Amino acid sequence: MEPVVLDCSTLSTREINSVLAELPDGSRARIVEPWGRHNLGVGLTNRIDIEIAGNAGYFIGGLGDGPRVTVDGFVGWSVAENLMSGTVRVRGNASECAAASAHGGTVIIEGDASSRAAISLKGGTVLVGGDVGHMSGFMAQAGTILIGGDAGAALGDSLYETVIYVAGRITSLGSDARVEELTADDVLQVKQLVALAGFDHVDPENVTRVASARELYNFDALKDKGY
Amino acid sequence: MCGIVGLHLKTPRLHDRLGELLSTMLEAMTTRGPDSAGIAVFDDTARPTMRLFKDVGSPREICERYGVPRLSGHQGVGHTRMATESAVSTEHSHPFAPSDDLALVHNGTFSNYATVRRALLREGVEFATDNDSEVAARYIAQQRAGGADLDEALRMVLKTFDGFYTLVVVTEEQFAVVRDSFACKPMVIAETEDYAAVGSEYHALAGLPGIADAEVYEPGPEEVYTWSR
Repeated sequence: MEPVVLDCSTLSTREINSVLAELPDGSRARIVEPWGRHNLGVGLTNRIDIEIAGNAGYFIGGLGDGPRVTVDGFVGWSVAENLMSGTVRVRGNASECAAASAHGGTVIIEGDASSRAAISLKGGTVLVGGDVGHMSGFMAQAGTILIGGDAGAALGDSLYETVIYVAGRITSLGSDARVEELTADDVLQVKQLVALAGFDHVDPENVTRVASARELYNFDALKDKGY
Repeated sequence: MCGIVGLHLKTPRLHDRLGELLSTMLEAMTTRGPDSAGIAVFDDTARPTMRLFKDVGSPREICERYGVPRLSGHQGVGHTRMATESAVSTEHSHPFAPSDDLALVHNGTFSNYATVRRALLREGVEFATDNDSEVAARYIAQQRAGGADLDEALRMVLKTFDGFYTLVVVTEEQFAVVRDSFACKPMVIAETEDYAAVGSEYHALAGLPGIADAEVYEPGPEEVYTWSR
């Protein structure tokens, strides 16, 4: 089936997103001439394939609960913010706060992600082929982050239960983040993530596992229960 | 939230289009700052003269009102303002030009500007407004008056000022960008053989000639980026 073609030079963002929302499951759409347009493909719950042909702006694919979005270019801030399910793949770089608060789904950045990648992650899977900027994984609560390149300063500051795997160098760890021993289960999981993303450059047996030291938050909510 | 744009032309071929290109960039930033707008442009003479226009209203109206699209020159900056720290007025709008060879635009808020302002007042510096960005502009001017070049002056800003900021500063010959240590106010740089262009959001740069082949990147925190004529 030929994709529905939506042209940003003639359609408003609202018009584009309205068309996308009405497409039946299994449909394909191609968004052309994005030139940094914000909010493309947000809030969609249908299982469709969306290709964005060019560089896009903020919040691409945000709040998604089903679609598979591919950006053939770079994106601005907060790509796939609060993603619930589905996949957002960016073939270039992503700006700040990529996959912020993602509850589920998979976010794949083939290039670099800027600062605060996967901030407050709540269960999603975030796979970055290149480097990430400072304060990535800040207060990440659940889910997994794989960084194929280097991590900037204060990685995993105030981590909760998200686990971060880093293939390259780590500039510095944030408060309460620590390096832990890589187990066979970790290697298996990284193998699966690498296969999912197509990151041939990452050796699953040579990544660093970063997780919470669990000293900054009350880990067992019931431990002081007196009744 | 505010929008900032800047264009440093490396090729004289584009000098005649400076105002036109900057106006388009500024208009794209209307959503980031609908209160007021302004632009500062340096011409391309041997000793460049700065022309500065700012007013209350939408960027498009202001550019048309002052004939900005017809201006030529070698570099300029623009700002669209959504006021946070002080009143919506022409005086409180950007760019701030403490002298006739320096203009500054700012996205963000300085949290310790009152302290820096008091220190500058004690040294005899005079202020036209109570705006936080004016303090940074006059601080940079004072550093330069003391012998610092623009790069050094901005490194002193990093040491002295607390808060969130992305700044673009232009002088007769130099063009500079700096972001605070958190880098939470956006900035995108696009560079080609013909120009270095900066904008709060990429779509402000999308109309520039040759943008599809430009090297596009984000300035890092606490790094000073400068270009010279």
